[in-house]
Amino acid sequence: MIRRSRLSDAFWSLVALLVAMVFFFPLYWAISNSLRRPVETFTVTGLGMPFVDFTPTLDNWRLQLGTPEAYNALANSTVISFSAVAIALLLGVPAAYALARFRFFTVPNRDLTIWFLSQRVLPPVATAVPFFILFSSFDLLDTRLALTLVSATFVLPFVVVICRQTFYDLPVELEEAALVDGAGHVKAFLWVALPLAAPAIAAAALIMFAFAWNEYLFAVILTIKNAATLPVHIAGGVDTRGVQFWFVAVRSLIAMVPPVLLALIAQRYIVRGLTLGAVKG
Amino acid sequence: MIRWTGRIKFLFLLPAVLWVLSFTVFPLGYSLYLSLHEVERKVVITGREKVPVLKSDGTPVLKADGTPRTRTKVIRELQTSFTWNNFANYLRAFRDEEVREAVRVTVIFTVAAVGIEILLGLGLAWLFNRGLYARGFLRSVMILPIFATPVAVGYLFFTIFYELGGPLSWTGIPWLSDPDWALVSIILVDLWQWTPFCFLVFLAALQGIPDEMIETAQLDTNSQWEIWRYVILPILKPVIVIVLLLRFAEAVKLFDIIATLTKGGPGIATQSYSYLAFNRGFKMNDFGYASALAFLLLVAVMVIVTLFFRRLRTSYE
Amino acid sequence: MTALLAGSAYAGQYVEWRDDGSVLLKLGPDYDNAVIETSREELGALFGPDQKPFEGVNITVLTLDSGPKGGISGPIMALRPVWEELSGGKLDVALVPITDLYAKMMLDLRQGTGLYDAIVVAAFFYGDLIAGNYILPIDDYMASGDFPQWSYDSMPDSLRTLYTWKGVGYGTLNDADGQVLYYRRDLLNDPKWQAEFKQEVGYDMPVPPRTWQQLLDIARFFDGKNFDANDPDPDSGIVLHLKVGEQGLYHFQSLSAPFAITPGEKLDRYHRVYWFDPTDMTPLINSPGHVAALEFLQELAKTGPSAQISWSLGEAWDYFLRGKSVFVFSWGDVGSLCQDPSRSKIQGNCAASVLPGSDRYWDHEKQQWVETDDPRPVGNTTGGSWHGVISAFSENPEAAYSFLSLMAIKPVSIWNANNGWTGVDPGFTYQFLEPVGEAKLEDYVKAGWDPNDVQDYLKAYYENFNAETMLPYLRIEGTPEYWDIMDKNLSAAMSGEKTAKEALDDTAKVWEEITDRLGRERILKQYQEAIGFEG
Repeated sequence: MIRRSRLSDAFWSLVALLVAMVFFFPLYWAISNSLRRPVETFTVTGLGMPFVDFTPTLDNWRLQLGTPEAYNALANSTVISFSAVAIALLLGVPAAYALARFRFFTVPNRDLTIWFLSQRVLPPVATAVPFFILFSSFDLLDTRLALTLVSATFVLPFVVVICRQTFYDLPVELEEAALVDGAGHVKAFLWVALPLAAPAIAAAALIMFAFAWNEYLFAVILTIKNAATLPVHIAGGVDTRGVQFWFVAVRSLIAMVPPVLLALIAQRYIVRGLTLGAVKG
Repeated sequence: MIRWTGRIKFLFLLPAVLWVLSFTVFPLGYSLYLSLHEVERKVVITGREKVPVLKSDGTPVLKADGTPRTRTKVIRELQTSFTWNNFANYLRAFRDEEVREAVRVTVIFTVAAVGIEILLGLGLAWLFNRGLYARGFLRSVMILPIFATPVAVGYLFFTIFYELGGPLSWTGIPWLSDPDWALVSIILVDLWQWTPFCFLVFLAALQGIPDEMIETAQLDTNSQWEIWRYVILPILKPVIVIVLLLRFAEAVKLFDIIATLTKGGPGIATQSYSYLAFNRGFKMNDFGYASALAFLLLVAVMVIVTLFFRRLRTSYE
Repeated sequence: MTALLAGSAYAGQYVEWRDDGSVLLKLGPDYDNAVIETSREELGALFGPDQKPFEGVNITVLTLDSGPKGGISGPIMALRPVWEELSGGKLDVALVPITDLYAKMMLDLRQGTGLYDAIVVAAFFYGDLIAGNYILPIDDYMASGDFPQWSYDSMPDSLRTLYTWKGVGYGTLNDADGQVLYYRRDLLNDPKWQAEFKQEVGYDMPVPPRTWQQLLDIARFFDGKNFDANDPDPDSGIVLHLKVGEQGLYHFQSLSAPFAITPGEKLDRYHRVYWFDPTDMTPLINSPGHVAALEFLQELAKTGPSAQISWSLGEAWDYFLRGKSVFVFSWGDVGSLCQDPSRSKIQGNCAASVLPGSDRYWDHEKQQWVETDDPRPVGNTTGGSWHGVISAFSENPEAAYSFLSLMAIKPVSIWNANNGWTGVDPGFTYQFLEPVGEAKLEDYVKAGWDPNDVQDYLKAYYENFNAETMLPYLRIEGTPEYWDIMDKNLSAAMSGEKTAKEALDDTAKVWEEITDRLGRERILKQYQEAIGFEG
């Protein structure tokens, strides 16, 4: 363990606190904005503390929480994001394992990994129209299913790229021991490798969830009204009279609650996650 | 590293490959085709017929005199024609001054943002890897920005960069109204949202390094820097590479922050490549050109990534 | 309210048919239980007590999303249950953020998916809509007498042009956009400021200013003075919304019109044109008139906050509404927002007038400047004038029209204008006050307007839409692309990266490229049709 003293712990804790405050500030500002009357959006100076710099009001929250659109969007986002992440994990984790452990000859492993990554590079403007045509021909426009399928496809590279590295760095001896004991590759994967990689998978899942949750362009193109997600709802805070910052603040804070709760639950896994790559050095 | 062989490998890999292929072959093929053709569309009337007006149960609606109510149904058809355009869209991209400027903006942004995010992420990971009071809580706070919806982030930062009395106005910096500072502001927003991602991954990797390794190293040197340079960084290298790749792939597509914070302005000072392509497609209905731009980006990025991998083959493969 | 005393023949939840022929449309508790009174005659032959002519029909309207009590989408959602009860049909409202409305509409039309029966469009979409034959003419529906009755005659010619193409009707009456000047009544009428102005500038302060040059003098005079008691900071002469990709372009259009348009008896090659030479599509945008106007705008912007280069309309309005500037020139929304205490500190001091003229203009024929002693305002229809059209792919165009026309009847239109939150700005004859219109001051006051403010406001819009010379509206295929490059160059000029001349020369150069790429012959023909050029 690195040498440490209480004094330096206190000093660095203070530094860490300051950094955390900087990173939290924009969200604090959103909270502050959401509690102001519209006319005060730009007039509250300083740190914008409720009660100190202005008299807070819950009007914006009341108006926004009262709309069925907000709940509908919340439900859609939740279902779509969870399903997309589940599909991506189901497909991506075994693929990552294969790329880490097996040798593919016709196409080298590296190129396969790069190919998965390349799926995230193409700007969506090139694929949005064909996806629209695709889903409209299957009569799937404005359904949660369509968005789930698209989201799953576009977050899949994350789990492949991250988990490939994790599996690659796991000590292969454990799995080989299992193989010697008569277990097949499937069993070695399920009972030996998978539990060891679980933290990394959880971390990847959380990041994928954030991406699926925040995806905007396909959500706006592929929905009409029933399947609209939270980002579309947030963007609706802009109208012929400009950005309604006070509503946008409320909507974006609402949109952050579920993933943040999820992140807090997954905390323990995340921090342990992605570490096993380094275990054996 | 010895790799296994055996047909079972396809059982692991193929479902993911087939899934991705089945959802991307048509879109990619279609937009490639579109980028190589001139498209003409027009709705033409191909006929008219009288049809009875039906109720929801299928029975005709009757007029007051008992005869069924009819309406004229005009039959229209969308006619679309494609003509080969001799790579016109690709050639146009090389002449387009806006493309040149957008490439400049995107390169500056990507290098600055990703570079700083990785360095900052490493520094923060080092900070949070040591003994701290309330470490769990502070760490939780640190990762919150990842979950902020990009659509909203731009609007949120507009209120923060507000130049007349906003929380950063004391600096006197024209955050959004000056062409150069506007790009800096965009980079700052990206740092806010994505440094936590780098931080998180690096922190996790650091915590996985067994204490004994550090202790062994400490027998040889007292310099923290040397321990980092010769022990920790080599261990982190594969993780850094992955983070670099993932961030790079996202950063070249910079779009949301531009769309909600600056709209590419002032002038075209913050117009990113992806934002330009988006507007060519969705604002001007020029999907052929937009697709051509998208494919050019894809090719450029993949060339860079492949070269990069080749250099790093030893550590990665 | 005689109708309230009459007996009712048939009363549903949202529609009440009364014995005397009047019909009450009741919007329900979500809309303050507002009641709009119309008549059987006005509703047309199809609708009647328990007629339900579109039973089982399901139509979808695509509109920008401002929510159930916001601009443009609000009134549609307010009238939805009324139409559903009248028609027996079902109405779905597809809401899309305003930034993506055009993209989503064109995606549907270009692919022929036919998701939407009716679409709420901006006038600058027409070039694309007409070129692709994507929308249906409605003249036959109007003439049939089957549908709710309204007429293009209640529109001034300037607006009628935007709702029609070559004299054929496509759009149903809804919104009227144009920019007018808003100024602070209390400041400009204050003898103290007036005296100081005369001393400093040398002439009596003209209230309201009749030329842009006068306006600049006043703006310069007030700029930097602290006339707003709400904060200790200095205040501004004007505030502009100059953000690229937003509304900076519109500012330039309305401001430059009196500099760059040569007035004349009728529209010909040199007179009343603004965008292109109507004989060969040569851009006029870099004419000396346009360049001088942009240089003028650069000067004018110096009397406003420097941050405005990154402001879209909401932020600029907010600045004016908080009392921080003397002037703003913008859309009708400002007038109604002035009346909203949650947004404004200047209710009662929010005066309005038609935009000023210029004391000189460029003569495109003689290629020289003309000084004038009698500067006339040039009217503008800058903006969207958001209104419904019917998709060519609609399976139920009659049902769609029956809804759009219900939105267009006079009492609904007046209700829209009275209530500022609808985002529907006045422009149609009956929305103006007597004697030029039919509206009553007390109805506006009842809806929360300050009487002085609303009288100014309606007068400004009346004069704007009925001006002798109008800024022609660009309605050709590719309008978004022409505008995009102009907008970017204007922004570069306003942020100091380019001079006015460079910015407009660059614009003209790219415009020529766009015209050649899209096909000069075709675009020229559209342009001539759109502005009514007969050569």
